[in-house]
Amino acid sequence: MKPAPFEYFDPKTVEEAVSLLREHGEDAKVLAGGQSLVPLLHMRMARPEALIDLSRVQGLEYIRETDGVLAIGAMTSKRAVERSGLVKRRQPLLHAATLLIAHPQIRNRGTVGGSMAHADPAAEYPAVALVLDAELRAVGPDGERTIKAGDFFVSYLTTALEPAEVLTEVRFPMPADGTGWAFREVSRRHGDFAMAGAAVTLSAEGAGRCTEARIVLFGVGPTPIRVHGAEQMLVGETLGQALLELAGHRASEDLDEPLSDVHASAEFRRHLAEVLTRRALAEAMARAGGG
Amino acid sequence: MAVEIPKRLEDLPTSSPRWVGREVKRIEDPELLTGRTQFIDNVVLPGMLHCAILRSPLAHARVASIDVSAAEGMPEVAAVITGEDALRWSFPAASSPEGWGSHCLATDKVRFAGEPVAAVAATSRYVAEDALELIVVDYEPLEVVADARKATESESPLLFEERGTNVMLQRVFTWGEVEEVFREADHVFTEKFRWNRVGANPIETFGVISEWNPVDGSLTCRGSYQSPSFMGLGRSASLGLPSNKVRIISQPHGGSFGGKGGGRGTDITALLSRKAGGRPVKWIEDRMEYLTAGGSQAWDRQYQASLAVEPDGRVTGLKVELLDDLGATGEGFGSISAAKPLSAFTGPYTIGVAQYDLTLVATNKLPASPYRGMGPPPHNFVLEQMMDIAARSLGIDPAEMRRRNYIQPDQFPYTIPSGNEYDSGDYEAALDKVLEMAEYRELRRQQAEAREQGRHLGIGVASTIEPGVFDWNSYAIVGMPGVGVPEGATVSFDILGKVTVRVGFSLEGQGQYTLAAQLIGDYFGLEMEDVRVVALDTQSAPPHFGPGGSRLGVALTGAILGACERIKEKLVKLAAVLLQTEPGSVELMDGALRVKGMPEAAIPLAQVVGAMLARSDLLPPDVDPRPEATFVWTAPGRTPADEEGRAKSYLTAANACHVVLVEIDAETGKVEILKYLIADDCGTRLNPATVEGMTQGGVAQGVGAALLEEYVYDPEGQLLTSTFMDYLLPTIHEVPMTEKAALVTPSPFSPLGAKGCGEGAIHAAPAAVMCAVNDALAPLGVLATEVPATPNRLWKLIQGAKSLSPGD
Amino acid sequence: MVTTRKVHLTVNGVAHEAFVEPRMTLADFLRGELALVGTHVGCEHGVCGACTVLLDGRTVRACLMLAVQADGAELMTVEGLDEDGRLHPIQEAFLEEHGLQCGFCTPGFLLTVYELLADSPEPSDDAIMDALGGQICRCTGYQPILASVRLAAAKLRQGRAAGAA
Repeated sequence: MKPAPFEYFDPKTVEEAVSLLREHGEDAKVLAGGQSLVPLLHMRMARPEALIDLSRVQGLEYIRETDGVLAIGAMTSKRAVERSGLVKRRQPLLHAATLLIAHPQIRNRGTVGGSMAHADPAAEYPAVALVLDAELRAVGPDGERTIKAGDFFVSYLTTALEPAEVLTEVRFPMPADGTGWAFREVSRRHGDFAMAGAAVTLSAEGAGRCTEARIVLFGVGPTPIRVHGAEQMLVGETLGQALLELAGHRASEDLDEPLSDVHASAEFRRHLAEVLTRRALAEAMARAGGG
Repeated sequence: MAVEIPKRLEDLPTSSPRWVGREVKRIEDPELLTGRTQFIDNVVLPGMLHCAILRSPLAHARVASIDVSAAEGMPEVAAVITGEDALRWSFPAASSPEGWGSHCLATDKVRFAGEPVAAVAATSRYVAEDALELIVVDYEPLEVVADARKATESESPLLFEERGTNVMLQRVFTWGEVEEVFREADHVFTEKFRWNRVGANPIETFGVISEWNPVDGSLTCRGSYQSPSFMGLGRSASLGLPSNKVRIISQPHGGSFGGKGGGRGTDITALLSRKAGGRPVKWIEDRMEYLTAGGSQAWDRQYQASLAVEPDGRVTGLKVELLDDLGATGEGFGSISAAKPLSAFTGPYTIGVAQYDLTLVATNKLPASPYRGMGPPPHNFVLEQMMDIAARSLGIDPAEMRRRNYIQPDQFPYTIPSGNEYDSGDYEAALDKVLEMAEYRELRRQQAEAREQGRHLGIGVASTIEPGVFDWNSYAIVGMPGVGVPEGATVSFDILGKVTVRVGFSLEGQGQYTLAAQLIGDYFGLEMEDVRVVALDTQSAPPHFGPGGSRLGVALTGAILGACERIKEKLVKLAAVLLQTEPGSVELMDGALRVKGMPEAAIPLAQVVGAMLARSDLLPPDVDPRPEATFVWTAPGRTPADEEGRAKSYLTAANACHVVLVEIDAETGKVEILKYLIADDCGTRLNPATVEGMTQGGVAQGVGAALLEEYVYDPEGQLLTSTFMDYLLPTIHEVPMTEKAALVTPSPFSPLGAKGCGEGAIHAAPAAVMCAVNDALAPLGVLATEVPATPNRLWKLIQGAKSLSPGD
Repeated sequence: MVTTRKVHLTVNGVAHEAFVEPRMTLADFLRGELALVGTHVGCEHGVCGACTVLLDGRTVRACLMLAVQADGAELMTVEGLDEDGRLHPIQEAFLEEHGLQCGFCTPGFLLTVYELLADSPEPSDDAIMDALGGQICRCTGYQPILASVRLAAAKLRQGRAAGAA
């Protein structure tokens, strides 16, 4: 399983990277951590003529808090995110999701930006971006722009990035104090891609009435999916077991035909979506309001 | 002169064994740990080329034309071969059953997706794969036969038109008055089961370097071969070479478990080397090639089983109907997995009559290969589920159900209906031991409590036999000829008293070299470091098979001790001269030759050895001046199979009882193994750490088979699980840490009373896990009959139960 | 014409310079160009972990890296553990607890354990399992490997205590 031949470039700046992408167009592929791309190269399912390696581009590895936002450079490794005290303290959902990604050796090389740009429907980070309402910054021939997570994940392995655009940063708004959260998935083995997963954030008032709910399901469609119908059922209500069950049903029903593969049928994925929604909501509720 | 192989540890010429039976460090380990062991891909030969193989994308098609001119034109390409070369220089591979083999490269048609169609030898694997892309093949698709049952029907498209059928074998074996017993039985339980394809997947795939000698028409192959002589014979047949012109050199290899494969790869690289004027050609199978087209798949089975049972739970008869999908050809010898169950057909039970309705069929999938356990793991899964089905129906506890049916210690040697003889055992002791370890009553109490809380806890109790020391007669029903599997070893002293052992197999992971050092160390009173083991190639090795069928620990022990006995005889004769007495008065004990009854009249072994080589004046006339001997061991008392396949086949019968506690999350279908306990008895434990290692490794593979591993084909014969993302091997998170207890019921027939143990736990683990799963599901009134019990399958079962239950 | 790139890297403390095709994997480079054959290839898609090496102190899959990506890096392979045949305490622990059978996956495990124990000298069983979850062994069933890691941690602690004394 050896790759087909390609030309290799390691630009030192984002501008250089953009320029190379422009030059080679569809014949180019960006190499970030390589944990998703390199197997495809080996199987010759990806056959770029030019490989643009971003690992020498300066200034894309950082985790910092600015203006109520956690900003992570696109080439930051998942391992760095895992080990970041800042992330653990201030973005616990992101931290929890990171621990479920594959294994340490993969996280050592895999990057935040790479995961977002690859947009595997069963991957954790796109779901995190969607549930936290992240913003993704990209630089292209026409300059810099910001894309909201809701607009970023377009379809199966397809994002809103233009061919010559490079993802430079992901910005996660800091959650308000007392926000409940949960991140759960069901996979065949520890570390495998999820057959289905749910990411939830929840805010509640003192009396336990929900003021805001965001529910994202992943692994059950071509992109991570916000299930607005189920969310709306919860706002203004006190979250008891019966309501959670209804929300789970609604989330599951609102899915278009989920994926079907050797690990899980569409029917089973739809069912898991319901179970995970309910369980994630219960977990998030327990955490909400400083619980 | 007849040689008496010591039957018990006490018979060794040592007052107290220092090595055998004890915890020792493995002599193989330092090299393995430092990365120095010479796996095949480490070997580089001058002028070596690298092979890449072009494979059919279709499962069934005619090869209308093939154009390799562009590939041949690449400067880095030294040779390209196609079916034309295969027809010119080779024959269809040996197969089981006979007559279902094909050439190493497709000649007129392809029969499975991934079948080799052409091959390239180039300066690197990278370039060889580039060259493959320049080969143009014109396929004419044929209708694909992907369903085993449909393949047996008369209207089915045929894989081998000249055979007129896809059915490789169809026979009913009846042992005893089966119909009468089933007619008169108080209860007959019948159930269908489905066991899906799983397979070996050692972490090292197959690899080979073939070198053709154009001058004398001989072939030398270095590779990761489990059984060098067997592979050599196969190549002699497929390449039409005299048997003494095929030299197989087996490199230490990264596991095999029966499923390393290598026939086609060896033939293809041999032909490439021939076409390239004799340059060595290396092929390292990549993982996708292994999964799709290697020795990777086994046990694609549809079962129906029936049990005849008395009201008190005694089982009087067993019927098993098996449709075994062997894939496109018989070249993988997967058929022997269908024959092996005869060696322990009725398990540890006194079931008096049995029937085996066996159909082997060809489909457009990968030819099946052997896999650890060979056939009993699915068979035992079926038998143990049937025992539980009967137990549940009759209201008998599953452990009690086993107890009421066990062969008793005083009934050995015990001949089972399918013909094999079990040497010894105490099955009830193993059951009692594991139930005690598990605190079985407490587990049942916990289960009852959990059930009240709506949780699904299950306890599985599985009791199985592991036949050890295979014989060819076990596979007589699928046409394998012969009785006896010889294994030879040469033990040789040098003038300073150090020992070299020469054997015919290389390292695979079971620690046989360490065992050799233990045996010789204790026999001659040496340190383990005084013994070195060398693997010889097929040109120089004594007759051998190597590891397989849980035989090598026992067979090697027999070979080595036989050689030691022969050396001892020579040393005794010379020592008698030196001690000025008769040979009959001299014995070897604790590393010295001494006069019986006069321990102070002794000469150290090294001195006698030295005298043999340096004092020819002292040698008696009938002693040759070599402190060396070769002994070839075969299992005693084996018999040819009769027309019903009955034979004394596997020499030993180890047994084990596994108890497993699981919890099923009914909403997600996921199974968590909470506890796993094992009591096993493999007779004298020559190396306890090895036995535990084989056991734990077998548990991992068994758990994988029960819950995770499955090769899935679509209706067009395309493999959907062609990477490790989809074929799921258990990791440390999925394999339970087990509690193990050892019992020792020695074999009266084998060297040192040891029994084969290499396949052990995989015989029981899938059965035990599935028994636990079904015990958990029992209150829902559903039965998991398909393996693996994936979350999707279990969820569907549970859903089915809910939809049937009234008042939801 | 095949274009090659120059790479400089240090492996087990020894500096190397070579010209490589961009598509050559780090695993093939180590094994072929540098003849460091202790790093084994089991799957070439990053799942089995047999090819795991340390790059700038972190475990990576050598099969999922291109040699050119390792330009300027410091690597450690299994050959860097023993000192002229004298086993490293982690290797000794595996020897004593029988943490290997065929040995093919072992180098990947050893380096993973090396990273784990450098980060956490007294890891819990859960931490050990999390660290090893991406390494597949088909022979041992993992239980002896777990025991080996516990012993390795103890040996390294002893060694540090002895060194400090």
